[in-house]
Amino acid sequence: MTAMIQLSNVSKWYGSFQVLTDCTTQVAKGEVVVVCGPSGSGKSTLIKCVNALEPFQKGTVLVDGISVGDPKTDLPKLRSRVGMVFQHFELFPHLSITENLAIAQMKVLGRSRDEAHERGLKYLDRVGLKAQAAKFPGQLSGGQQQRVAIARALSMDPIAMLFDEPTSALDPEMINEVLDVMTGLAHEGMTMMCVTHEMGFARRVADRVIFMDQGHIVEDCTKEEFFGAPRGERAQQFLSKILQH
Amino acid sequence: MMDFSQIVPALPALADGMVLTLKLLAMSVAGGVVLGTLLALARLSSLPLLSGLAKFYVNYFRSIPLLLVISWFYLVVPLIYTWLTGSFEPVGAFTSCLVAFVMFEAAYFSEIVRAGIQSIPKGQVNAGYALGMRYDQVMRLIVLPQAFRKMTPLLLQQSIILFQDTSLVYAVGLLDFLNAARSKGDIVGLPHEFLIFAGAVYFVISMGATQLVKRLQKRFAV
Repeated sequence: MTAMIQLSNVSKWYGSFQVLTDCTTQVAKGEVVVVCGPSGSGKSTLIKCVNALEPFQKGTVLVDGISVGDPKTDLPKLRSRVGMVFQHFELFPHLSITENLAIAQMKVLGRSRDEAHERGLKYLDRVGLKAQAAKFPGQLSGGQQQRVAIARALSMDPIAMLFDEPTSALDPEMINEVLDVMTGLAHEGMTMMCVTHEMGFARRVADRVIFMDQGHIVEDCTKEEFFGAPRGERAQQFLSKILQH
Repeated sequence: MMDFSQIVPALPALADGMVLTLKLLAMSVAGGVVLGTLLALARLSSLPLLSGLAKFYVNYFRSIPLLLVISWFYLVVPLIYTWLTGSFEPVGAFTSCLVAFVMFEAAYFSEIVRAGIQSIPKGQVNAGYALGMRYDQVMRLIVLPQAFRKMTPLLLQQSIILFQDTSLVYAVGLLDFLNAARSKGDIVGLPHEFLIFAGAVYFVISMGATQLVKRLQKRFAV
């Protein structure tokens, strides 16, 4: 298996405070990896290092063989090939749903307006929101906004998708509509790295689970191992807390 | 007894003055917002030299009187023009004043724009970058359109202040609305009437504009 995302000994400091320590892992093509851990463990920071939204001081990150930290790398081009979904959706509130889906296709990939709109609508239909195309983000529910955000990322034809706590800001009844879209993607063979607390999702679709604590990757194993076989004390504590509900 | 009847025949001259005032205002606001936006971007830049220069510019122009800037540019702009183009063609008071207003107001507009840019959540910037946009695209397509929407009432408020401040061009002899009223009043020997009339006109326009801004503010707040 070839690694689509490869992190080697990634370390990062905010001033003198070390947020990531020697993080090494990889996501193979078509693999779904869930990253979990207590808040402040560095999981969001780690996933943002993959597309260089967060700079890191040590180690290397390769995406499809291209080094993210190399100053010679064309970062905008690399980022345009990696989809990202954020905790707070981050749809552009001044643009309609159609424009949200089309803007980067047109301005970054150079697609024509017609092509961008057509492709955007295709993915909007896929997440079940074709009827909302003319609305603005503020008129949609949180769950709908997050599905639009996924469609926006998909319409760029990404080689991998990063999810940074995509359901943490959602009301409980909206979590499943987003997870269903993500599950569908996983089954289609999309390469995915997901920071999430949704252990049910991890159990259903993850190939591997990474557990982080205080900036370290302390567990990195298949989901069968993570949810079944013995593992580190810290991960057990975390799981026992999170699986109660 | 006050005699306001002489204002009627003077109206065409006063209208010419108002045209100059509004022309100067519109061009100064347009230029000031453009330069102010560039200054705000420079101020927020991660390059220390660039942000330092912008900070110095803004603090400098906010620390000196507008009247001084107008008088000074009246003397300096023709020299710079000649130095840049080699032409001795006279520059004229209007151009000098325009340059002075643009450069002075840019310092104030840049602070408004800077606050506007900073009010846009970092997540919006990240979303733009994550989609592969470059810095200029993130600013142009994502941040500034949202920031300007939020800033419009403040920018208009500042423009209303500038509308009143354009009257300072009397110092270099430009016939704006106030200066036209003043000189006409002197000529016909009714300075009080003409100045009272001018004051009423400034009041009505400024108050009207302020009410409009308040309405806008309410609409934008929703």
